[in-house]
Amino acid sequence: MNATVGFAFVILGLSASVLGAGGGAYALVTGQPKLLRTVRQWAWLVVAAAVGAFAVMEVALFQRDYSLSYVQKVGSSHTPPLFNVAALWSSLEGSILLWALVLGGYLAAVLVKFRRRAADPLVGWALVVMLAVTAFFYALMTGPANPFTTADVPVGFDGPGPNPLLQNHILMAFHPPMLYLGYVGFTVPFAFALAALITGRLGEGWLLETRRWTVAAWGFLTFGIVLGAWWSYEVLGWGGYWAWDAVENASLLPWLTGTAFIHSVIVQERRGMLRVWNLSLLCATFSLTILGTFLTRSGVVESVHAFTEGAVGPWLLTFFGLVAATSIGLIAWRGDALRSTGAIDNPVSREASFLVNNLLFGALAFVILLGTVFPLIAETWNGSRLTIGPPYFNSMGRPLGLALLFLMAAAPLLPWRKASTELLSTRLFWPAVAGVGAMAIALVVGARGTAAVAAFGLGAFAGASALRQVVLACRRSGWRGVVGRTNGGMIVHLGVVLVAVAMAASSSYRSDRTFSMKVGETVNFEGHQLTYVEPGADINERRVRTFAQIQLDGGKTYAPAMTSFRQSGQVVPTPSVRTGLTEDVFLVLDQVPSRADDSIRLRVVIRPLVGWLWVGGGVMALGTALALVPSSRRPIKAGPEAEAAGPTDADAEPPSEPPSAREPELVGD
Amino acid sequence: MTAGPAAAAAEAPPAGPSRRLSPAVRRVGWVAIVVAALALLVVASIDGGGAETDAERIQRLTESFACPVCNGESVAESNAAAAATIREFIANEVTAGRSDAEIRDRLVDGYTAKVLRNPPADGVATLVWLLPVLAAVGGAAGVATMMGRRQRAGTTVSDADRELVRRAREALGVTSDGTSGPDAVADEDL
Repeated sequence: MNATVGFAFVILGLSASVLGAGGGAYALVTGQPKLLRTVRQWAWLVVAAAVGAFAVMEVALFQRDYSLSYVQKVGSSHTPPLFNVAALWSSLEGSILLWALVLGGYLAAVLVKFRRRAADPLVGWALVVMLAVTAFFYALMTGPANPFTTADVPVGFDGPGPNPLLQNHILMAFHPPMLYLGYVGFTVPFAFALAALITGRLGEGWLLETRRWTVAAWGFLTFGIVLGAWWSYEVLGWGGYWAWDAVENASLLPWLTGTAFIHSVIVQERRGMLRVWNLSLLCATFSLTILGTFLTRSGVVESVHAFTEGAVGPWLLTFFGLVAATSIGLIAWRGDALRSTGAIDNPVSREASFLVNNLLFGALAFVILLGTVFPLIAETWNGSRLTIGPPYFNSMGRPLGLALLFLMAAAPLLPWRKASTELLSTRLFWPAVAGVGAMAIALVVGARGTAAVAAFGLGAFAGASALRQVVLACRRSGWRGVVGRTNGGMIVHLGVVLVAVAMAASSSYRSDRTFSMKVGETVNFEGHQLTYVEPGADINERRVRTFAQIQLDGGKTYAPAMTSFRQSGQVVPTPSVRTGLTEDVFLVLDQVPSRADDSIRLRVVIRPLVGWLWVGGGVMALGTALALVPSSRRPIKAGPEAEAAGPTDADAEPPSEPPSAREPELVGD
Repeated sequence: MTAGPAAAAAEAPPAGPSRRLSPAVRRVGWVAIVVAALALLVVASIDGGGAETDAERIQRLTESFACPVCNGESVAESNAAAAATIREFIANEVTAGRSDAEIRDRLVDGYTAKVLRNPPADGVATLVWLLPVLAAVGGAAGVATMMGRRQRAGTTVSDADRELVRRAREALGVTSDGTSGPDAVADEDL
């Protein structure tokens, strides 16, 4: 029953996507406004199909309907409700289903936002592109990633539940949806970019239409990545948060190109430059979300995250190729119309700093992409198996990261067009003093190592510079000094500084030791006193949790555990962490204490400032949210009038480009 | 090491006072900042016995060896007993002051070459180091030539034009360096 209804929804989604995209494209090419209006109805059907299919799968999971092979794989009568909801996306087919739901959500939002402009070819083509993307994901669900395949149910069957690692922490319920909101969100600006290329309306109109969407998608992706790092830290029990694993890299790649895009797009809005580059970045960002899904879902890269494998590889790779080829083809076709109208006057200016920013983010993305796929290339080349691990990414990423921190300190203070030495020396003075001060304090409290100390200095430099901007903006416009894209962006920068400092400190001054302890024994490590009080066990129908009570510094007791899941028989370590303002003490068991007099192997990892990583992630999310609040001086008007007028900057400068730089954006037919 | 974010927050001065510094004082200040920054970096590198702390070195080494009984995990990540043993071994060796090569040789003696995580660079593997450098140089050259070309092709601004703009901005209460008046809305804003 569930299988039939669910699959019917999938078929409905696929047909509506194909009919909507096909009909819409035909209507736009032949100029039939009546037919074009039907695209909206098809699109709403696609949304309904996504919600329907998702709901059916959740119902099946809660009913423990084992006639579905997917429920057999991830369902279990013992999974608590929250993790039962999350079980939906704990394996391949379900995660495609989640992708379809999120895509449906964005489609619905676009339909509502642009409801009065159904006849506008730009919106029409954007919907066609979005429906083409939904068609692909529904096609995946009818073919290699069908979540509604049926299976025979053995008598008395009970499923294993989701992978133990995925039902060990509440973050698993939030990390994947956040990440998907980010990944999938880039579909909207991508669709509008392609629509702009197809319609030839290559002015800044489409950019202004979609910049909120892009920033929102970026914010979700950022938050999703940070939640993932946090989950990895709290659950995986290796004392770290980022392993340069292929799945992590796959999420970071679109983040890097997306970050480059939301910066360089400002240059285009302001100066009418970098049009080809921005279109390419956006298309690259969307393509990388698909490539990332390919790398992680096809099992092509060995990875501790490869919970799922399937036959989706060729499909995703083909779709990636299609997206890349279409984007490149369209950009080449419109090459002439994309010629920029502005010019960079001086290498020390805001626009030049954005170019350098893009160069650095581009280099970082290149290094990470290369490091991730290089083992595959090498293996195809001459069959050699080689590993590209954290040492590679760290040594390549560190100089780029430091350069980005420096740029983050200086760039927001640079004026457009040209900066005088006088102006720079005035604006950068106190931030630079803060940077040197932070280095001195770091040395006084015992920090050593050039890279780490430089990171603290540059972090304070960038932080003070961002703070200066926020303070000035608040003096100018009161509480509105923290909202709007520019000001919200500065709050995001503050979050980035926290993350950078936390990363530098926690990776440079990490201490890690494993102790063999008997009950009552006390060890000292890095100024901490750890006493093994007693073993214990916490047993329920789902799992057996064997823990060791560890008293830390004569105070509170922590209980790192080994959790054995009955259904799957898997044993996973469950760390216990004392989070503090200056350092975390991370405790994890290497060995289960089976008897009271057995000794345990306790691994202790001390990482300074690591908690600020999550705070920084939160600040980045907050800054993104603030950036989405309209600033009072430049309301973003909906509708074509605002678009034709271009950005209404409260500018003391004369407009930087001739009016002809912005094509008139006519409403269609 | 506790200084990071706390310092960033506590030390950020109000932006106001910068306006009252005379250019001469500021010039001296900048020299002091640059000298102090370099000196502090030198102290940071010398005092730590090189660019790396012991903890960093242990971390780097444990990350660079593969856990011999796991699939794809490094010694640093794995919770396997063998990995824990190697971690302890590396920590002891580093504390004892042995070189990276010595530690590597000892581990390879004990566990064979499968503990090596980053294989020694052969023909293909050198590309992974070389390509990013080439790409970065190419990208930088691209950006540089773009700026150079634009500069020549762009509209030339004469001193008379600049003077005109300066006067117009002064009339609006914005000084040319944008540091007073309504704080240079044009520059500060996007």
